[in-house]
Amino acid sequence: MSESPVGVRQRGPKKKVGNGAEYSSVPGGSDDELLAMSIKAPRHVQSTGGRGYKIALAVITALAFVTRFHRLGHPNEVVFDEVHFGKYLEHTYFFDVHPPFGKLLFALMGWFVGYDGHFKFENIGDSYISNGVPYVAFRAMPAMLGALTVPVVFLTMQESGYSLPAAITAAMLVLFDNAHIGQTRLILLDATLILSMACSLLCYVRFYKLRDQPFGRKWWKWLLLTGVALSCVISTKYVGVFTFVTIGGAVIVDLWNLLDYKRGLSLQQFGQHFAARALGLIIVPFFFYLFWFQVHFTVLYKSGPGDDFMSPAFQETLADNALSASSITVNYYDTVQIRHKDTKAFLHSHAQNYPLRYEDGRISSQGQQVTGYPFNDTNNHWIIMPATPFPEEERLNRPVLNGDIFKLHHVLTNTDLLSHDVASPYFPTNQEFTTISMDKSYGERHNDTLFEIKMEHGKKEAELKTLAGHFKLLHVPSKVAMWTHSKPLPDWGFKQQEINGNKNVAQGSNIWYIEDIPSMTEADERNSKEPKKVKHMSFISKYLELQRAMFHHNNALTSSHPYASQPIQWPFLLRGVSFWTKTDTREQIYFLGNPVGWWLASALLAVLAGIFGADQITQRRGLDALDRRTRSKLYNSTGFFLFAWASHYFPFYLMGRQLFLHHYLPAHLASALVTGALVEFIFCADPLEKEVIDKDGKKTYVAAPKRSLVGAWIACGVISAAVVACFIFYAPLTYGTPGLTVEQVLARKFLGYELHFAK
Amino acid sequence: MANNATAYGTGADLQNAGMRQRGAGELSAAYAPLPTEEDVSKLKKKSCVSEVQKSSGIDIESILAPIIFTLVSFWTRLHRIGESNIVTWDEAHFGKFGSHYLKREFYFDVHPPLGKMLVGLSGYLAGYNGSFEFKSGEEYPPELDYTYMRIFNATFGALCIPLAYFTAKEFGFSKKATWLVTLMVLCDNSYATISRFILLDAMLLFFTFTTMLCFARFHNLQKKSFSIEWFFWLVLSGLSIGCVCSVKWVGLFATAVVGLYTVEDLWNKFGDLDMPVFTYLAHWISRIFGLIIVPLAVYMASFKAHFVILENSGPGDAQMSSLFQANLKGTELGNSPLEVVIGSRATLKNMGYGGGLLHSHVQTYPEGSGQQQITCYHHKDSNNDWWFYPARDQPAYDPESDEIRYIGNGDVIRLIHTQTGRNLHSHAVPAPVTKSDHEVSCYGNLTVGDNKDHWTVEIIDDTSGRDYSKLKTLTSSFRLKHTALGCYLKAANTNLPQWGFKQIETTCTKKNNPKDKFTHWNVESHWNDKLPKADVKAFKSPFLKDFIHLNVAMMTSNNALVPDPDKQDDLASHWWQWPILNVGLRMCSWEDKVTKYFLLGNPFVYWGSTASLGLFGLMFVFYLIRWQRGYDDLTLDDIDHIHYAGLYPLIGWFFHYFPFILMGRVTYVHHYYPALYFAILVFGFIFNHVCERIPRAIAYTLYASAYVVTIGLFVLFSPISFGMTGSADQYSYLKWFENWRIS
Repeated sequence: MSESPVGVRQRGPKKKVGNGAEYSSVPGGSDDELLAMSIKAPRHVQSTGGRGYKIALAVITALAFVTRFHRLGHPNEVVFDEVHFGKYLEHTYFFDVHPPFGKLLFALMGWFVGYDGHFKFENIGDSYISNGVPYVAFRAMPAMLGALTVPVVFLTMQESGYSLPAAITAAMLVLFDNAHIGQTRLILLDATLILSMACSLLCYVRFYKLRDQPFGRKWWKWLLLTGVALSCVISTKYVGVFTFVTIGGAVIVDLWNLLDYKRGLSLQQFGQHFAARALGLIIVPFFFYLFWFQVHFTVLYKSGPGDDFMSPAFQETLADNALSASSITVNYYDTVQIRHKDTKAFLHSHAQNYPLRYEDGRISSQGQQVTGYPFNDTNNHWIIMPATPFPEEERLNRPVLNGDIFKLHHVLTNTDLLSHDVASPYFPTNQEFTTISMDKSYGERHNDTLFEIKMEHGKKEAELKTLAGHFKLLHVPSKVAMWTHSKPLPDWGFKQQEINGNKNVAQGSNIWYIEDIPSMTEADERNSKEPKKVKHMSFISKYLELQRAMFHHNNALTSSHPYASQPIQWPFLLRGVSFWTKTDTREQIYFLGNPVGWWLASALLAVLAGIFGADQITQRRGLDALDRRTRSKLYNSTGFFLFAWASHYFPFYLMGRQLFLHHYLPAHLASALVTGALVEFIFCADPLEKEVIDKDGKKTYVAAPKRSLVGAWIACGVISAAVVACFIFYAPLTYGTPGLTVEQVLARKFLGYELHFAK
Repeated sequence: MANNATAYGTGADLQNAGMRQRGAGELSAAYAPLPTEEDVSKLKKKSCVSEVQKSSGIDIESILAPIIFTLVSFWTRLHRIGESNIVTWDEAHFGKFGSHYLKREFYFDVHPPLGKMLVGLSGYLAGYNGSFEFKSGEEYPPELDYTYMRIFNATFGALCIPLAYFTAKEFGFSKKATWLVTLMVLCDNSYATISRFILLDAMLLFFTFTTMLCFARFHNLQKKSFSIEWFFWLVLSGLSIGCVCSVKWVGLFATAVVGLYTVEDLWNKFGDLDMPVFTYLAHWISRIFGLIIVPLAVYMASFKAHFVILENSGPGDAQMSSLFQANLKGTELGNSPLEVVIGSRATLKNMGYGGGLLHSHVQTYPEGSGQQQITCYHHKDSNNDWWFYPARDQPAYDPESDEIRYIGNGDVIRLIHTQTGRNLHSHAVPAPVTKSDHEVSCYGNLTVGDNKDHWTVEIIDDTSGRDYSKLKTLTSSFRLKHTALGCYLKAANTNLPQWGFKQIETTCTKKNNPKDKFTHWNVESHWNDKLPKADVKAFKSPFLKDFIHLNVAMMTSNNALVPDPDKQDDLASHWWQWPILNVGLRMCSWEDKVTKYFLLGNPFVYWGSTASLGLFGLMFVFYLIRWQRGYDDLTLDDIDHIHYAGLYPLIGWFFHYFPFILMGRVTYVHHYYPALYFAILVFGFIFNHVCERIPRAIAYTLYASAYVVTIGLFVLFSPISFGMTGSADQYSYLKWFENWRIS
């Protein structure tokens, strides 16, 4: 934060941070040209060494498909979280915390192969064969996406102007990574996520290279493609927002440079640049994202297991929904059964009283017990009585409205429900609920028997309906909400649930609904109403409701999982996740990265940070170790990859939900890019250009003669060999075959890798 | 040729480096050159000099204004201070803690001790003997001069006003802006209210204010580095930081502001190539001394005093190590024999934070082996007692013989539960909750049993020396390794279900991690008639260990203050509610007969200061964009002023506010009060900055209306600070919003 004002005073250093070297006083060395040069250079290289890149790309792509598709059909059972397909094919509404795009892709695949979605994939180890699931086709989809990720990584390096060995190194780290392979050959969403994320980076690099032709056809093409790729990331999982941060950060730096008056852009032109990016990178992705939700709602038109996550209004939009079929308006003087939404207990009372003294010594009112009871019982019957009785002739068909105040009359004991300032049996802070006789109810205690109904999402004066109408019951004088919880009362309460008055009215567990109206006769005209039609709800309100529910449940995923891990463990690959085991063949799938590759990538991240630090410090002391193009590339390109890694990694520290190793995969991909870039930086000591001073003392820059890549090639070879060796060593745990002997398992077991069959 | 090029290259490099350093050269072609850095410092010097001259001249305002403000502030803080004679709000806590200092009983609390010691001091000065319980809402007894204690506390609150005045002056605000800042602090109802009770917040605010004053003063003295005055204010900053951190840990955020400033300052000096290396090193050393060593010394001294004063056993004993407890007066712990031998009866305490005593009872495990339960339990009873017995393959213990068999590192023993006579036992059955560990049970008796009753003593540490040949009471920490299975006895903070009475699960863990405190045990109480009582000196507890232990325990408890979703807490509020003054807090019961206080800020101060934060951000971006477009709006003095008097307070606000967003613990409105001060400073800055740039008439009108509104609203809301008597309904005119539950 303090950086900016320093920059304000010391313009030079600030610019350096943003753009690498700053030599603008030198002719032919303006910042923009410099960058353009550094970008153009690879094209030049490409023209000479283009064939090398093409061959490498072809080989790498082929290998990627081989590694991903190898023994794809094994195991023929549900592995880990393979639950994401088939769901759309039955058209029944379901709820999931992830956005729909990735799941829709699987559904599309299922539709291609004619699968009906009957299998529910509930347990790890359920057989695909005996359930007749075309699982290989399903797995082929992520495997293909996973395989395509590798050439995208290679191309990102190539387009960013890195040498062939650098590009190969980066691609090898992803190509032979056990974690990338393991995660993408199963029916999981991550393959979609990682490919889209990699494509976003690639598209943005392509877009950035076209800066010298703004608003050209190609410029627009790559801008929009970046937007689409970004949209795919966020439509697969919400961690995609980190990719937006990455690209967004780069765009802000870019715009900031465009704003510089030395660039000669008028404010209007700048505005166009700004608007184009806002359109391409925010508006287009957002509509794309919404589009998938529209597909989601369109496909899922039937009621299903996800109904309970949504509001009654939403549920009424689904076909064959129990709510829309059977909800009936509740009238005054109806006998009703009132049920608690969370614990499914009925509001109940019986002729026994509260004991005078509880175990902890507190004293009760000794009034009649009011409890929660989960079974049908005539003691659950209550009559809704108006606060002041209606005239005799006007009692029929007076619906209960939202916000009404009424009394509840217990039928069998002929008493009225009441709450008062006496502590409840278990909660000294909550009010006791009891009943009192009619004479008192219409006498001195009248006010204490009044309750107000507050419907959830209900409009003012909306009619109360059975089942569909969720409400809170507020005690009028004391403003507490009727509440119950699952801890049973002691023997004196027959182990039924305690009902009490909760002062925290906003609490979600205060919600009740009317289960049915036992007093309603066959002849009641409410029965004869024609069955209701499926209702409509605007897309926007459906979307907003679902979005809220998704965020809510995502944050609620805090329960512990035996294989959950902490972000700090990921770069060091301290532990993995056991995906699947088969005891008789001693086979197992243990999700784990390639240790050599991960540690190398993580170590080089630290090296890069060190290089940046050292460069800043030496520059601060007026020393200069780098030539300007090397520095520009280091900060603009490698720095961008580092930023991508950081923005895909550090936010996880702030997340309260349970986390797994696979959350690191996008960040790992970025770290592979950094590794490739640094291999070139470290092993290619020659500067990218030379400074020549002519007779007039003017400086010009000349591209350095052909740089020696021998060092980089050797490094690339050594790294590739080590990575491949380590990959093969861990491959049995990634592909789940062959089974390993105890010694073989023990050889692979170190750090926190909790492998099975080690004994 | 090549040589030539290199030579040229080097020359050019230097030239370039210099240019990059200053970074101004590039503008020369199209725009008037910006001054270089040297010019900057020269300019700064000039402006500072003129400022000093101004203030050293006879200026009646600079003498009169602070005096008047201070007098008024004392009036606002002390007016009717004794009105309510009941224990109000958190007085129940801090008054009680103060009492503990007077009774010299050890207690435990999540806050560092300085503030509470000051409360204790006020009680001491008031002649209070510490006997009052400070139950919430209870009436003060006649012999307790609570008014005196409150006045003591309010003095800190009142002194914030002159501090704010001088800080604003040091920040280079105009007179009118200085008054505005001072008035806003003076006339904020929340500051006025919270200063009137026996709480820590007035002290916290006071030391936060002093820290900011030191910060501002020190920055102005930068040009006089290494002068006496410079050192004086550096050390004063350190003392101030030490004090603010010793009152509440929130002080760390104020420390962070000063820390950030120091880092930036050192980085700037690092780039000053003209500065000799030794001067630069001296800058580092003096800052390390002033801003790290001094505060740490203050902080540790407050704990030292805490330990020295609280010499008696009290309610906080259990949070500390056994060794520490042994040094408190009134515990039995110090009376034990020193060496533990075969045949000794003893209790074993787990050394993890919050660890209990190894415990067993006749109830059995409902699952697993079904044998007798082993747990860890904090309550002291005879079910915690264990006999140290020899292993089965060794000569049996003969109670009649006088032979003394010491237990050393590596010896194998049995532990027999004295009440049930069963052996501490473990086997390859998964533990009830932590399934990956082995279950530990109590099994067999003196004769029935097997080698799974054997435990190897592994001494890890001994505070009395390096001699591990004898297991000693209190001073030895040891692990118990199950001889047959090789696992270690462990009690982490996992509670058993109801069948285990929610006591701590005790297991045998397969992980051999010598650093795992939850596998460390020590002998707490020890009885053996054959041995002499130990010399009390043997149980000396090192200060540093106690200091660290207590701090970790404080941190653990602080994090444990998480909101209980099932429990409703009317008083708690959320971070987003504070800056917009969405909610207030009832400090006492709302009955008619009680004098009621409502913790709510001055709406103008809150809303104005919050708005100014956004305005400052906009202004900042505006100037930045203008600069990028090549406009030259600001002089270097202006930029410096924005940086130090505007941006740093904004950062301070952010540091004091943002952590509460992330914090999982229960939060209350008064957590915002330190942040509010920074927001007020930003408000003052914006006013100062804008009013210098608009016609004078408008500026005067703005200032005048701000003064009037600030004072007017304070007066309007003064009943909530001075105490509302009678029915709350009389004050319903103050209930502007539903959440301001004044009536």
